[in-house]
Amino acid sequence: MSDALPTAIGTVVIGGGVVGACVAGFLADEGQDVLVVDEGRGAGSSANAGSLHVQMQSRFMRLYPENVPNMELQLPLYPKAVAFWRELASSLNAEFDLKMTGGLMVAESQDQLDFLGVKAKRERQLGLDVEILDRAQLDAIAPYFGPSIVGAELCANEGKLNPLLCNAAIRSWILARGVVLAEGVSVARIARSGTGFAVSTTRGTVTAGRVVLAAGSGTRLLAAGLDPPISIPAVAEPLHMNITEATAPLIGHLVQHADRMITLKQFGTGQIVIGGGWPARQDVPGGHAEVELASLIANASLAQHIVPSIGNLRIIRTWAGLNTSVDGMGVLGAVPAIPGLFVAIPGDAGYTLGPLSARLVADVMLGRKPGEDISPFGPERFE
Amino acid sequence: MSGFVINFEGEQVPARAGESVAAALTAHGIRGFRVTRSTAERGIFCGMGVCQDCLVEVDGVPGKRACMTVVDRPLSIRRQRNGAALPPVSDALPPATIDELAVERPELLVIGAGPGGLSAAIAARKAGAEVVVLDERRSPGGQYFKPVAVEGADVAPPDAQHREGLALVAQARAAGVVIRSGVSVWGAFRPLEFAATTDTGETRRYLPRAVVVATGAYERAWPVPGWELPGVMTTGAAQTLWRTARRLPGRRVLIAGNGPLNLQLAAELRSGGAEVVAVVEAAGPATRAPAAVAAMALASPGLVAQGLAYQWRCLTGGVPMLHDTVVSAVEQRPSGLAVTLAGGGATRVLEADVLCLGYGFEPSNELLRALGCRHEHDGTRLVTDRGSDGQTSVAGVYALGDCTGLGGARVAAADGTLAGLAAAAGLSHAVGPELARLGRQAASVAQRHRRFQQALWAVYRAPALAIAQVPDDTMICRCEEVRFGAARAALAEGLNDAGSVKRATRIGMGPCQGRYCRPLLEALIQEATGKAPDETSGFAPRPPFRPVTIRDLAGKP
Repeated sequence: MSDALPTAIGTVVIGGGVVGACVAGFLADEGQDVLVVDEGRGAGSSANAGSLHVQMQSRFMRLYPENVPNMELQLPLYPKAVAFWRELASSLNAEFDLKMTGGLMVAESQDQLDFLGVKAKRERQLGLDVEILDRAQLDAIAPYFGPSIVGAELCANEGKLNPLLCNAAIRSWILARGVVLAEGVSVARIARSGTGFAVSTTRGTVTAGRVVLAAGSGTRLLAAGLDPPISIPAVAEPLHMNITEATAPLIGHLVQHADRMITLKQFGTGQIVIGGGWPARQDVPGGHAEVELASLIANASLAQHIVPSIGNLRIIRTWAGLNTSVDGMGVLGAVPAIPGLFVAIPGDAGYTLGPLSARLVADVMLGRKPGEDISPFGPERFE
Repeated sequence: MSGFVINFEGEQVPARAGESVAAALTAHGIRGFRVTRSTAERGIFCGMGVCQDCLVEVDGVPGKRACMTVVDRPLSIRRQRNGAALPPVSDALPPATIDELAVERPELLVIGAGPGGLSAAIAARKAGAEVVVLDERRSPGGQYFKPVAVEGADVAPPDAQHREGLALVAQARAAGVVIRSGVSVWGAFRPLEFAATTDTGETRRYLPRAVVVATGAYERAWPVPGWELPGVMTTGAAQTLWRTARRLPGRRVLIAGNGPLNLQLAAELRSGGAEVVAVVEAAGPATRAPAAVAAMALASPGLVAQGLAYQWRCLTGGVPMLHDTVVSAVEQRPSGLAVTLAGGGATRVLEADVLCLGYGFEPSNELLRALGCRHEHDGTRLVTDRGSDGQTSVAGVYALGDCTGLGGARVAAADGTLAGLAAAAGLSHAVGPELARLGRQAASVAQRHRRFQQALWAVYRAPALAIAQVPDDTMICRCEEVRFGAARAALAEGLNDAGSVKRATRIGMGPCQGRYCRPLLEALIQEATGKAPDETSGFAPRPPFRPVTIRDLAGKP
């Protein structure tokens, strides 16, 4: 936030989204000096819609069937990541509008319900709290679905929060801990210098003992520019989101579909957020993402198909966010080829996994044994 | 006269056929429409479909703008309560795709049927282009002509300004221009696609070969404590009540602002029988700028005569003119609105039923920005980069009138002719000698009226809003009920761009899409950081530019 960057600092975290900010916060909690450099506008976290995902998202299973084994590998982290959000709220004494409502993935045919049955069985083996509901059981807990819905998978570990509240609280926390936050600053290059690094930015060069790459899909180019080049095949997914005006409490759960791209949830403000992975348009990699009419029409009309009464609500805004996808799971930990370099990319549900992923990477950096085995997620797997 | 009865929460309200729900309710003394999250009441503010403060439920359907809903049958109306439950719906429509929407592919699309848009359409049509004009209101004419929408023995006949508008519309129709009224264009997508919804709830795509954007302007905010109270409305809103529905905004009206429109409103409301408590003008009297007055008279003697006539009608009607004075606070008292005025180092309080605020305009440029047209900030507002023929920085996109900066109706009409001809030429229609002469005439009119405008605003030169002096408890974002103090606190925490402040405070997150708060927030950011506002410093344009009902997006009414 100040104009002059420090010329030397212990750790530079590149990327000021939920992951980068939390890594910085956890390091600063232990008295370390940290600079966060953030390009500063439209980062994924500031556009996030607040789903706390746990069950495997049918969208990713359809799009990237080859990634399903990796998704299963990371799945046990998901409920822990949700629990960690709750811990973070209480340790920061902040209101995140976090509700553990459970999540419903609805089905419109027996085939879809069968798919959910197979998925639920596997998820149960991996420690998730899931069950299959028929329409009568569904109506008892969620009496708002349209006539075509035949049943659903209920995942009790899911919920939602308001990312605007979370981002603001996390920002206040790290600033209070003395983290230097450089917003609107881009990193051109990371060079190795002595036992550390020289990070060239649009506001001068900073030398640092350690660097954390927490720049989502931007990590790919930063890592590729290192000596030796490091391969992190993270790609940006520009996604479409919609928000309605407020209405009375209606949709308690986080709602998804077994075979169509949709997420539906209602915030504490009464507004309903409609998303689910419809594409936005990004003409220039790394540039601004813009919404597309086709996604708006398809996404909103699908939402109405599933929950008919919201047809009377007005959409007041749409926006495009960026998700980061790798190979079905996150990239977490030290880069063996370059001492002092760390990567923190959370995985498919980046916001849900964000704080826990940051905690695990920070633990490695602090010389502690992370609370979870992160060896499957190591950056070296792409070498 | 034909009329209907509105049932307003059990009360029977007589209404004229063709008037807006807002006009009928206002005439009946009903001020409070929408109820906010904090349970505050809001009334008509902009009167033109922008601010979303006059929302009501119409026959059980929520989210209708009272100012844009026409009384064409008996209606049952309720206040729109924030977060009210939705009416149950049992049938589930199938999901739609973009391919199921109706598509129109006019050769030239004109958006906005004000003087500029209509003039552009006429010129392009005369040159041979096939032209479709879209306009959000029920009748063409826009915010300048404001056509009379009601009939009856007790309805004052159209005035010269109305008749000029009717003639322009008739000329457009006679030339073969297709005018589609009641169509709200809420999305613009690169390279050249538009999404629009009709007032019967059908969503359509428009894929023209070229477009003329003539979407006009809306009033700027004048943020003082109490500016969100029912009974406080823009000068344009009060003028719409009178000019379109022949309804008065209230019995005792105080008009405050900067510029000649306030004087016109005072004269019009006087003629309708209102008591105009005062016209409060931020600028000094015209006698202080004799050279500018002379320049105005030289450029447009007709407009100066018109202005003098308004002034004469106010004077003979006993309307006090208070110069060098601004509104500094509004408070609701049992007997009416108590309006604090500040001027010459002193304050005084006047009481009225209605306060009209007319402190200048802000361009409605969201479609242009969404298409990627370049803009520059002139220190006060965004100005569209355009040639004298209306060509913007994006091929096939022409723009003119108040949405590109400001300039008033005469400049818009003349620039409309030029843009219409240029658009037709760009579509390979020959502009013959007669049309070329029309173009040269229009260019000279535009130039003359630009001189007039320049002189006019020299006469009306007034100090800008002192953003630093706006009290912390003043509303900055009317939709989300966020106050200046919250914006200042966010800036003090180091947030220094509009997007970050928006996400931290909810400023600009409501249904008006930041139209009123954005310039205020930009001024606060400039004050805090020293950074001058530019093309990217406001909120990014995000469709829908008017809230759109989900059911309407599925395509079928």
